[in-house]
Amino acid sequence: MLADYGYIGLLLVVAIFFAVTTLLLPFFLSLPARLEVYFRRLRQYLLLNYPFFYKLLPPFSLPRFMQIVPYNPNPVKSSTFECGMETIGKAWVQFNFRYYFYALVFIALDVLVVFLYPWAVDLRKLGLFGFIGVVIFIFIIVIGYIYAWRKRVLEWK
Amino acid sequence: MEIGDVYSSRQLDEAEGEQIESLKARSQQPIPDPDEWLEQELERNILVTSVDAILNWSRRSSLWPAICFPACCAFELIATAASRFDISRFGMEVIRASPRQGDLMITAGTLTWKMAPQVKRIYDQMPEPKWVIAMGACAISGGIFASSYSVVPGYNRIIPVDVYVPGCPPRPEALLYGIRMLQQKISKMSLVTEGR
Amino acid sequence: MTVALSGEEIASQIEENFPGSIVESSPKSIVVNKESLFAVASYLKTTPGLDFDYLTAITAVDYYDYFEVIYQLTSLQHNHSLVVKTRCYGRDNPTLPSVVSLWRGADFQEREIYDLFGIGFGGHPNLKRIFLWEGFQGHPLRKDYL
Repeated sequence: MLADYGYIGLLLVVAIFFAVTTLLLPFFLSLPARLEVYFRRLRQYLLLNYPFFYKLLPPFSLPRFMQIVPYNPNPVKSSTFECGMETIGKAWVQFNFRYYFYALVFIALDVLVVFLYPWAVDLRKLGLFGFIGVVIFIFIIVIGYIYAWRKRVLEWK
Repeated sequence: MEIGDVYSSRQLDEAEGEQIESLKARSQQPIPDPDEWLEQELERNILVTSVDAILNWSRRSSLWPAICFPACCAFELIATAASRFDISRFGMEVIRASPRQGDLMITAGTLTWKMAPQVKRIYDQMPEPKWVIAMGACAISGGIFASSYSVVPGYNRIIPVDVYVPGCPPRPEALLYGIRMLQQKISKMSLVTEGR
Repeated sequence: MTVALSGEEIASQIEENFPGSIVESSPKSIVVNKESLFAVASYLKTTPGLDFDYLTAITAVDYYDYFEVIYQLTSLQHNHSLVVKTRCYGRDNPTLPSVVSLWRGADFQEREIYDLFGIGFGGHPNLKRIFLWEGFQGHPLRKDYL
């Protein structure tokens, strides 16, 4: 079925292959180093809690030439980036409520616009009746908009 | 707003001061340059050599600098990155603000003890493989500010440096020569040794 | 062009209102003594005709016998400027009154002078080191630091 599309099909295959490789190749190449780190952590855990199993599991590390992508995590390296400083507090802050007002008004008017697009495409066929109907619709929405405007919802102080 | 609201707390300042003092106490000797592996003769088999060649070529041809521009050498670095002395031809035009995406730290400028913990932290947050080019006299040894009360005498007190580019500031051609030396160093890296 | 006012004229005007405050005056600057510094500064700021509402800079110099703190004032309304100096004798904990309540721009500059010279400012809301870190011993720009 892909062959029916000719060169487009080939391009699609190449594109998908490229994207998948970009995502999966670093993952697979980093597996040897990461597995070694996880194995080392597992041995540490067993040493603390299950010494019997710790003795059963000998230290094992993959040869260095198999570790193509390095993986050496440490607490400073994995910490959050804040231009060199240590972070203070959490990033979960309260957002300004005015954003919510703007989003709400936008949604209402955006839905109106979405209805206007197909109407505009077929305007000639719909004639005067269609025109008056949409004008009434817009009028209803605009009443709400003017109400929001007069209630000073869109001001940012 | 009261006048007292905008200031950071005293404890924060004291914690920062302790951090700086402890870093200064730890950094009395320069970190030795990681160069011993360069002279080793290696036995390589054909399989590893090919992988080495590909890896080293890809790493040295797409070094992305991470931002570390405290002072005036930054202008020469910017000039090098501009159109006349292009570093884009070496694949390096992507100067990333985030150290997570950078693998080369070109330290362009004088480092003070107050800034040192931050630079060290940014270096620590870069993923391996990473390299450092010390650009300019202040980065190599403190430059003309070497005996100052607040200047770190060379970046190699706090982070290991691979290539030193002298000059005050080094001309863009000198920086490009230093980058070329780093590329030659990277081409000698191998998977079977501990070359970083 | 901002006119640099001559110190001698201003000195005579200040001497009328605050007798004994002027130590010396020259065409370039006036030197006041530190007890009357704050009064003279607020007089310079509030008097119509002088109206020095913008503090351009504060800086300090270490002559071996004394520290000299230099205030450079500008009037944005009348476009003239003046240099006011004070001297602090004694090297252990010299203090001056802070002018932060008159000019907010003095905030960081007085912290800088405290950091590098060790001159304390009474009435400063947040007098701590600004360039060097807490825990740094000494004040580097003094002549006897090294």
